[in-house]
This record gives sequence, C-alpha cells and structure tokens, in this order.
Amino acid sequence: MERTHRHAVAAHGLRKHYGDVRAVDGIDLLIEPGEVVALLGPNGAGKSTMIDMLLGLTRPDAGEVRLMGETPAEAVRGGAVGVMLQEAALLDDVTVREIVVMIASLHRAPLPVEEALRRAGVTDLAGRRPARLSGGQKQRVRFAMALVSDPGLLVLDEPTSAMDVGVRREFWAAVRSLTGAGRTVLFATHHLEEAEKHADRVVLVRDGRVVADGPVAAVISEVGGWTVRAAVPGALPEELRALPGVTAVELRGDRAELRCADSAAPLRELLARFPAAHDVEVRALSLEEAFLRLTAPLPEEV
Amino acid sequence: MTVTGYLTFEIRRVLRDTKFLLFAVVLPAGLFLLESGLFTDVAGRGSAAYTMGGLAAFGALKAALDAGSRTAVERSSGWQRQLRLTPLSGGGYLVAKGTVAMLVAFPPVAGVALAAFVSGVELPAGGWAWAVLGSWAGTVPFALLGLLAGQLVTARNAQVVYGGLTLVLGFLGGLLIPVGVFPPGLAAVAQALPSHWLAELGHAAATGGARLGAAAAVLALYTVVLGAAVVVRYRRDSART
Repeated sequence: MERTHRHAVAAHGLRKHYGDVRAVDGIDLLIEPGEVVALLGPNGAGKSTMIDMLLGLTRPDAGEVRLMGETPAEAVRGGAVGVMLQEAALLDDVTVREIVVMIASLHRAPLPVEEALRRAGVTDLAGRRPARLSGGQKQRVRFAMALVSDPGLLVLDEPTSAMDVGVRREFWAAVRSLTGAGRTVLFATHHLEEAEKHADRVVLVRDGRVVADGPVAAVISEVGGWTVRAAVPGALPEELRALPGVTAVELRGDRAELRCADSAAPLRELLARFPAAHDVEVRALSLEEAFLRLTAPLPEEV
Repeated sequence: MTVTGYLTFEIRRVLRDTKFLLFAVVLPAGLFLLESGLFTDVAGRGSAAYTMGGLAAFGALKAALDAGSRTAVERSSGWQRQLRLTPLSGGGYLVAKGTVAMLVAFPPVAGVALAAFVSGVELPAGGWAWAVLGSWAGTVPFALLGLLAGQLVTARNAQVVYGGLTLVLGFLGGLLIPVGVFPPGLAAVAQALPSHWLAELGHAAATGGARLGAAAAVLALYTVVLGAAVVVRYRRDSART
C-alpha cells in the first residue's frame, strides 16, 4: 500500500450489490490531502453506500479502502475522520453541549468543546435539547460532533439537505474556515450548484459508477455543451445525426433539436445541407441540463 | 480510559428519567404491599419475607430489561451508527450500557426491602444486607439479556418483546405468584428460568439459604451464556453487510 499511503482517501475496485441492485459497481477514488471533493449524483446513485464503505460501516463485496494509509476502522479509532451522517438521530434527553462533551471525551486530542460549538455555529444552542431544534440546526449540531475531534478528513453525507439558503451559506463558510488548514473534505450532494460552488473537484456517480471526475468546468465540458434547435423541413433523423459534432437528435415534426459537442461546425453543415432550415436557435447547455444528461439513468438517444 | 466520559453521559441520561426511575421503584414495592397480605398463607411455606425475595427480583430484572430496551431504540434510530464512527469500542458501549442497567436495578430492590421493613418484616442485619445485595448482584444475567434483546429487536418491537420477557420471567419464574400454587408442569418450567433462581437468592434471606448454591450456579451459567451471546452478536452486527 506504499503507493496510496499519501492519499487522504484511497479506494480501489469498490463493489457492493444488494441482490440484483448494483449499488456500487466498481469505483476507484483517490483523494489528496487538502482536497475538497464533491460526490455528486442523483438520489439512488450509490453515494451513501459508497460513503458507508469508505467509513467501514458497510463491508464491500470487493475492493479495498485506506484513509490516510489506515483501514477505516483504524482511522476512526484514531479520531482522524469526522463524519456527518445524514439520517443519524440525535438523542433528545441531553443538551447539545452534553453530546459534544461526550464525543470529545472519547478522543485523545479533541478541540476545546466551546471552540467546536463556535465553529459549527451552535454556541447559542448549546443548552438546548435536539428535539426542539430545526432540521438545519440539527445538521449544525452534527457538524460540531464531526469536527470536535479535530479530524484531518471530514466526510459529510448530504450536509445541507435540511437547511435554508442563509443557513446553508453560513454552513459552507464554516467548512471553508476548516479547509484552510489542509483538511480534506468529501461531501455527498445531489445539488450541482453546491458541488460547483464549494468543491475543487467533482466525482460524478451514476448507477454505482464514476461517470466523470475532475474540476467542475472540465466535467461539464466533457458532456458536450450546446443545443441547436431549428425547423428543418424534410430532414430525416439519420441525416441530422450524421452532421459533424452532433451527439444526439430529437425530431418532432419539422422541429429538430440537436445536441452538439461544438456549436459552429454542426450549424454550418446544417444550413449548407438544409437550405430550408429556419428559426435557428443556438444555446449553451446549462449546468443543470449537463448534470441531468450526465446522471440520467437512461440517456435518450435517437 | 475513554469509557468514563461516555459512562458519565449515560448515567446522567438515566438519572434524568425520573418517571422511569420512580415507576421502577413504586411498582414492585406496591406489589409487595399487596401480595404480602394476599399470598402468605396460600404459599404454605410463605411469609412476607419470602414474598420480598420474589418482588425484589421482579423489580430488579424489570428495571435492568427496561434499561436494555433503550439500546434497541438507539440502534434503530441511527445513534449507534454515529457512535461507531467514534473511538468508542463495542466493548466500551456494552460495558457502559450494562453498568447503567445494573445501576437502575438497585433502587427497586432497595424499595421492596424498605417496604418490607416498614410493613414489619423482621430480619437480622445480615439478612437485610443479603436480601438487598444478593438480589441486586444476581441481576447481572438480566442486564445482559436486556443488551442481547436490544441488538436483536427493532424499536418498533421493543415494547412487545421487553414487556413479554418481563411478564414471562415474572409470572412463570414465580416472582408475582408463588411457585407453590403452580401446577407441577408449570413449576418445572419455573425451575429452568433464571428469574426463579434470582428470587431464590432473596428467599435465602428468609428461609436460611438451603438452595443458595444451586441459585448461584444457575445464575452464573446464565451470565456466561448470555454474556457470550451479547459479544458474538455485537461482533456480527459490526461486521454486517
């Protein structure tokens, strides 16, 4: 394992099937220390199973995980990993501070509890019990629990799912303040915008596989980024599909919609071969469309 | 020791549940006051001191099982998953939970003894100490049973399972109705239940302790078997899926 020793996260050939469902179907992932990585994908893409395996909560059918050179269990025992689970309940018969104090007591070199509370933005909630808190407030409590061990790696599963916009902004500011010190962050999300804004790198997962991996801009451009719409009387789908740079065609009556990797070449050819073409419209694919195309379970091709 | 912080946390939680603690004490003490008038003659060899043994055992095992049922809830809600992502070991978790179960088993025993004392039961000082500490120490296998069930049932089924266990151990073990009034078949079943032998520990204070050795041996055996089952089950649960 010398080769992977430096990586904050090193996963090789991870696989997990539940009956016929291939939740995770062969994933490799290497994350350098200090990277902020978004695990992006629609619900059911395999993100949570992936995270469970990275943390040692779920045993993979095949493959291997190392966190900072250690097994997940070793890394957890050493307090090197802070985790925010999406669905984990908080106790309702203790206060927020009591929970964080208890978690801190389990670690060898925790942050001072007050500092953990402050960084997570829950100082003013410290005396309250989780039952009375909003979803977003509970998430911040979970964040305090994750960071009190002062971990080198933070794993956040859908951290902002219950937060409104303002709280979400504060939350990410808090995460940012932690990543300055060389901490590694891996977070799962199904919001492209969030991945784009807060991650250095996006790992796009669909049907249990990594379908794209890199900086957001690179991932988006990989999809091919333009849509050309036009009325093209008499054109056949095959003819349109044959145009240079066209990756997919949709035809309804005269109205054609061409998905293109490039904008100029297909347009030139379209007008040259179909002089009757009119009402031409060229548009760059929005991030959301690109994301939908990347993550749609069955890409629509004609 | 990383467990002390967690243990403190758990003790604080259970002490905060005053309704639970109060009920745990009031129920067996109240039953004692009721039954010590009711069954003393029917039981033949009975006395209020004898009844005390049964209800001290009932109060202790009920409290220990109820404490265990909390682990079922924590397992279902995902709180245990979260603890697994801390350095707290499985052993540490079980030790803390078992300690809490033993802790809450004490007040009911003391409460029944107090009710017995107040209602005129007379024992030598050593007899009182034995009745209280013996019954309490014998509760260990029930604390383990509570932990084991907590790892097997969901929060949904917890009430039914724990309630059922408490009733079976209480009635069939002869804690709520003396074994003396059981038909022979049922009396044989009682002999196999750990709760019957826990009551025997307490009865020894009143009857002189003829069956003390047998009671200690049966409870020790249950402790070993249930302890092993808890550990095996926890390991399997950790390694699951």
